[in-house]
Parts: sequence; C-alpha cells; structure tokens
Amino acid sequence: MDRDTLRRLELLNQLSLTEAQKEDVFSFFADRDEDLKALEAIDTENTERMVHVMPIMTVVREDVVSQPFAREDLQRGAPETDEGYWCVPRVVE
Amino acid sequence: MKYETVIGLEVHVELATDSKIFCSCSAHSYGADPNSHVCPACCGMPGMLPVVNKRVVDFGMKAGLMLDCHINRTTTFDKKSYYYPDLPAAYQTTQWFAPVAVNGLVEITTSKGKKNVRIKQIHMEEDAGKLVHDIREDTTHVDFNRTSVPLIEIVSQPDLSSAEEVEAYLERLKTLLRYARVAECEMAHGTMRCDVNLSVRPEGSDKLGVRTEMKNMNSVEAIKRAIEYETARHIDALENGTEELRQETRRWDDIKGKSYAMRSKETAGDYRYFPDPNVMPVVIDDTWFESIKSSLPEFPEVKRARYAEEYGLSEYDAEQLTKSIALCECFEDAFSVCKSAKDAANWMISEVMSILNARQMTYDMLKLNGKALGELILLVSEGKVGRANGKKILGAMFDDPTIAPAAYAEENGLIVSNDTGLIEKVVAEVVASDPKAVADYKGGKEKALMSLFGRCMKQLKGNCDPQMLRTILIDIVNKQ
Repeated sequence: MDRDTLRRLELLNQLSLTEAQKEDVFSFFADRDEDLKALEAIDTENTERMVHVMPIMTVVREDVVSQPFAREDLQRGAPETDEGYWCVPRVVE
Repeated sequence: MKYETVIGLEVHVELATDSKIFCSCSAHSYGADPNSHVCPACCGMPGMLPVVNKRVVDFGMKAGLMLDCHINRTTTFDKKSYYYPDLPAAYQTTQWFAPVAVNGLVEITTSKGKKNVRIKQIHMEEDAGKLVHDIREDTTHVDFNRTSVPLIEIVSQPDLSSAEEVEAYLERLKTLLRYARVAECEMAHGTMRCDVNLSVRPEGSDKLGVRTEMKNMNSVEAIKRAIEYETARHIDALENGTEELRQETRRWDDIKGKSYAMRSKETAGDYRYFPDPNVMPVVIDDTWFESIKSSLPEFPEVKRARYAEEYGLSEYDAEQLTKSIALCECFEDAFSVCKSAKDAANWMISEVMSILNARQMTYDMLKLNGKALGELILLVSEGKVGRANGKKILGAMFDDPTIAPAAYAEENGLIVSNDTGLIEKVVAEVVASDPKAVADYKGGKEKALMSLFGRCMKQLKGNCDPQMLRTILIDIVNKQ
C-alpha cells in the first residue's frame, strides 16, 4: 500500500482520510505484509475456486410482481424530493 | 501500411421478465410515475436482502445455450463497486467470478461469407436507475424504477473487424434471443444497448493496439458510423501522429458524427469486485438444466429447412415465416387446424403480416390465436365465409384474440348464404335496375357482367358463394 494507491482508493470510495488515518492504513498493511506474501506463495494452480465457505445455495422466487411500496414511505428520510424524484447534487455540467 | 480493425462488443439485453431481478417490483415502468415501481430492496436501503428471480436464471441459461455456451452449473453473484447517484447501494450486483454462461460461439454471415465470433461470457446483472438533468438547473433528479431490472451482458471476444460484421453479429443475437423469447432486443426501446471496444493494428500483427470504448450505443446505424469514425481516428493517430491514443471511454455524438473523450478507461481493479455475501450461489441441478434445454426453440435455419421439406413451402414463404418466432408459432398452430400449409402460409404472409405492417407492429408483437386463424382459413376454404369477410374477421381477431371465427361470423351475419331464393331475388333486382349493362353484356362486353356481379355481391354483403352467384346471374341475364 503506497500513497498513490491509497489516494485512488479514497477517490473511488468518496472518502477523505486524515493524515493519522492514512498512517493507520499503512501500518495495517505493513503488519500483514508477511501474511500476504505467505498467501501468494501457495500454489493454487489446480485448486478449484471455492464459491462459498458453507455448502449452501440460494433460494429462488417465482417471477411474480407484488404491490409497489409506498413512495412517500421510501422518501421519508430523503433530504430533498421533487415531483416524486429523489434530488441529488447536480452530476453533469 | 495497411491496418485492420479489432472490435469486441459488450451487449446489454433487458430480459423479458415481469418482475425485477432481486425483488418483486414490476420490471416494466415505461411511462410510469417516477419511483412508482420501487421498494426498499431496489432502492438500496440498508438491511434489505435480494432474492433471485428464477426466470432471470432460466433466461440466462437459455441465452447461453442459444449462443452455444457452456453453462456454469454453480453460478455466483458479485458486487461491482462504483459511486454514482443512479446506483443507490453504491454497488451493482453482477457476475464476475462465475457467470452463468461462458465460451460460446455465434456464426455470422456477411458479404465475405461466414465467420465465427467467440463469446467470452454471458452474465446476469441489475440495471441502474435513471437520472434526469433537465427539470431544474440546480439538481439532478433520480428515478429508481429501472434499478434492478434484469439484464444479461453478452461479452464477445475481439473477433469482429468491420461495421458490417458488427451489424451481422447484432442481428444474429437479436434473432436468437427473440426466438428463445428471453428478450425484446429493441435498440430503439433501450432493451438492447451496446458498448463497442475498438483498436487498430497493422494487418497481420498479433499484438492488439490501444483500445477505446464507446458506451451505450443504441442504434445499429450509429454504431456503424461510430466504428468507421473511430477506425479512421486511430489510423490517423498511428500514421500521422495527430494525437496520442489513450485507453479511455468515449462518448459518440451521432449528430456531429464525432467521438469525445469522457474518462480514462476503468480497470477491473477499480471496481473492487468481490462475492456478494447477500446472495448465495445459484446451483442449477440436472432437472432444472434439462427443463431449460428441452424448452429451446428450433434455430431459424433448421425451421426454414423443415418448412420447405415437411410442408413443401417455397424458399420465399419459409424465409418470410421464420422472420420471427411469433409468426412461426402462429403459422404452425393455424396449420394444425386447417391442415393446408400453403393456405396457412398465404394467410400469414399476405394478410397477417400486412396487418402488422399497417399497424406499425413488429412481427414479435403478434398476439393472434393461431388455432383460431386455422379455423378461419377452413371457413373460407370451405366456402362458408367469403374471402373479403374473412379479412374482416381477421381484423377483429387482431383486436380481440379471444374471438372464435365461426361464432363471430354467425353473430355478425358473415356466413355465406346458400339461400338460392334470396340470391335470385337480389340478382333480379340488380339486373332490372340496369338494362344497359344487360344489353352491353349481350353485345359481347364481359366487363358489364362483372359490374352486375359486383353489385349483387355488395347487396348480399359478400355472403354468397361466388360460383353460385355467377351461375344465377348469367341465367337471369340470358332470360332478359
């Protein structure tokens, strides 16, 4: 983990870390450097990918439409709505 | 130096399900009020759990089998993270590590002959919401009706090399997916969208050039123009150094006929894919797999050959009927009742397809009851209903697919009358009213008889056996 990688991750996650928080991240990854190297050393060439830690599978539902949810209830916590839309800061110039 | 274009396509297709992929909100919200088909799950509210729509997996498998793919019997969903207001959870649930279908093949035909295009994978995923920027200047308005509408993304290998090949490939995809009834695939409706990845390289080279991507193209003509423009731009950059090519996402402006840089191309790492802990693996057992496999339709070319061989139809008729699976099904149902392939084909091509064209409907929009059409064909061929009245009944059947032709003909006085007394009375009246036509006919003018015939048929509202009417008419005229 270097400064450039962390800056890119901050951008992708819409985060802005303080210097102290950044140092925590560097320290976290430095402490695990040996662990990561040990993982990388394992030969996984012929190992089948594990899809889940438990032998479990999803349930599926039939393609049936239900009553829509009340829009007013969904938008109750919205900072701003207009004509049934959620409003967000403008994203195009 | 000669260059060749290398193109790979990512085609998004909206699946024809009733409900969304992970919740039971309606997947059809065209023209609906904003946010009227939404729930806490598709709005990305914290704590909501997705439940997979079985039909989405059915359709994913069907699409895969139609494109000759291997079906992953254990298929998993993953989170693709990116931050944008049209994506309420800040991640898209998609498939990255084990997509439903991989390693397929699509054969296309162009002016240069046949070519195979390899399919890298087909994955199932949810659509994003819709952003509206023109209601107010200070905000963007968000509508989540489209959020979680089910899509498949069909990713090809970079095997295409011209606009003509791309067009042929897209047409083939449309045909196969429509035949399997998994999607409408109408670019104008947004149910099929295409990202074009393009690079150029010296002819014969095996090294790929710098790749650019044009996203969300929604018309074949625009795609063709964009490919031609981008190819010329890349070659110009390589030959004349007009610009430095960069791996980037570009926007195509079809009005100006130019592409513009939008952003540097994302890499997979930017999306931080990881298995979605909220959706367990989908395991497709043998029963499920076989039920989907056995439900696949005949391929268009197989059907075409069978129509010619089994039904004795001409190449032209077989070609017309196999343009859509809806036409095929209607024709086959009609044939099962009327037992005349030629009659059924004629009615389909000259009447049914004409009505669809006149009503500006696509062939796949046909909802006609094929067995009822077969009954109508029988009524006409047996002389119980006149051809003109048969067309009237067909028009009514388009408006109401529950109409039974015989009952409808009876109720609306469209059954051919065998009442010779009535026919003789009508003919006598028409003949008496036009002595000049009678004289003309007797003087050798055959057209005069046709004029009298037409007026008699009109008086009888078409409900008369034409041969019987002609015999009675000639008899009465000759007696004058």
